[in-house]
Amino acid sequence: MNSPQVISETVGGETIIVNLASGHYFSLQATAVEVWNGLERGDAAESIVLELEHRYEANDGEIEAAVKKLIEDFAGAELIVEDANGNGAGSGGLPPQDAGERVPFIAPSFATFTDMQDIILLDPVHEVDTQGWPHASTGT
Amino acid sequence: MPLPAPETAEGTLDRSIGELEKSFEGAAQAAELVERSICIGDAHVRLRFAGGALAEQLGRAFDHLAHEKSDEPDLTIHVWDSADSGTPPPPLPSLARGSPRGTTVYTADEGRHFACRPALQQLSAYERAAGRAWFWSGNAHELPFWEPAAPFRQILHWWLPDRGALLLHGAAVGRKGGGVLIVGAGGSGKSTCALSCLTSELLYAGDDYVGVQLEPEPSVLSLFCSGKLEPDHAELLPHLPSPSFAGDGALEEKSVFYVAERFPERMCRGFPLRAIVAPRVQGAEPQLTERGPAQVLAALAPSTLLQLVPARQEALSAMAGLLGDIPAFGLDVGGPTDLIPPAIERLLDELPS
Repeated sequence: MNSPQVISETVGGETIIVNLASGHYFSLQATAVEVWNGLERGDAAESIVLELEHRYEANDGEIEAAVKKLIEDFAGAELIVEDANGNGAGSGGLPPQDAGERVPFIAPSFATFTDMQDIILLDPVHEVDTQGWPHASTGT
Repeated sequence: MPLPAPETAEGTLDRSIGELEKSFEGAAQAAELVERSICIGDAHVRLRFAGGALAEQLGRAFDHLAHEKSDEPDLTIHVWDSADSGTPPPPLPSLARGSPRGTTVYTADEGRHFACRPALQQLSAYERAAGRAWFWSGNAHELPFWEPAAPFRQILHWWLPDRGALLLHGAAVGRKGGGVLIVGAGGSGKSTCALSCLTSELLYAGDDYVGVQLEPEPSVLSLFCSGKLEPDHAELLPHLPSPSFAGDGALEEKSVFYVAERFPERMCRGFPLRAIVAPRVQGAEPQLTERGPAQVLAALAPSTLLQLVPARQEALSAMAGLLGDIPAFGLDVGGPTDLIPPAIERLLDELPS
């Protein structure tokens, strides 16, 4: 995750992501939520693909390609960044759970909203360290 | 990107707090000290203005919350400017060359926040442990129109979470037993909805920013008795008084109304929150539809979080939690404005109390 500038919440099965640096926000549904939640947990992309393949019916390579594309799109929107070790998605991940009967896969996607970006362009915020706050000159 | 530390930087925010105290005391000695007490929810807030003109300008939006309180305040806000008091400004951070005029420089430590817009000559600070805050401006009479209409928003954004509440970008109307929060970005119809209700029996708690207490049950806390509208939208609501500030629409200037002065009986201090409504300017008559909580979170959260500092995950999570507890609806408001209040009243009638 590109924190703290990216924050997100999942409610009612949908995820809302806000990029506080760009002012863009995003709405994720269905399989995109599952991918995002996996990334939040620190799961590796391969692990997320395995999890989805366990749950959804799709052509060979379809889920892997869709997840790869979605992660690229997340990175393009600066919602995720490589970690300090140069890794993209995390390296962990839970073993796939038995999900019962698989259902047809619907490729993940997300909606981008840019109507609030003017706030960031016109009224940006610069956070400074407390040591950076100015004081009156000594003697005043 | 963090700014480089100014050459004069040293010490911690202890010293900065001391400098604000000294700057305010100097201004209060130079100008007449005016104190007002208000209640926000069950909290006592004392406003200390250095100068009567400043109290008139920045205290007006709180007239409906006035209360005679003699007990120790939960929050004391010190308000001064340099123009009226003739005192020098407190130390202000500088901006990197080419920064937009609206740039906010922000710093914080455990329990203290400082935010300054150097180009606009405004500074807000808050110290949680002592329940104290400061608002300075270079010339309060030159503040942009939205500041007198909703003063000290930044301070309230810092203070309300310490009381289990949030400052939210939204309007609120309702009854003593319960009301609705109306959310959405600018132009979504929030203000038109709220101000149209002044012709009905519904109470008015605000049109742009309100507090919402999260526990023990979600409740709206009225903060400001003002209302803001695009000048051409104000023409749709002929019952409104003459605006105190007649925006001409240029530079997104809106007209500002002080509802408490014309409709004191319609003002309220808050009510239990029963529903969250996201209006859209479309349709020939008001149409209520159930909306998913995420859709309404998208209407509420970005416009709240991107206008105040800091924006944090905790605030977004609290908003999502609120939407998990409270039903959400869409409301088409493209038709005649006099049909809006009955639609909200019907919704309140149908919701469990």
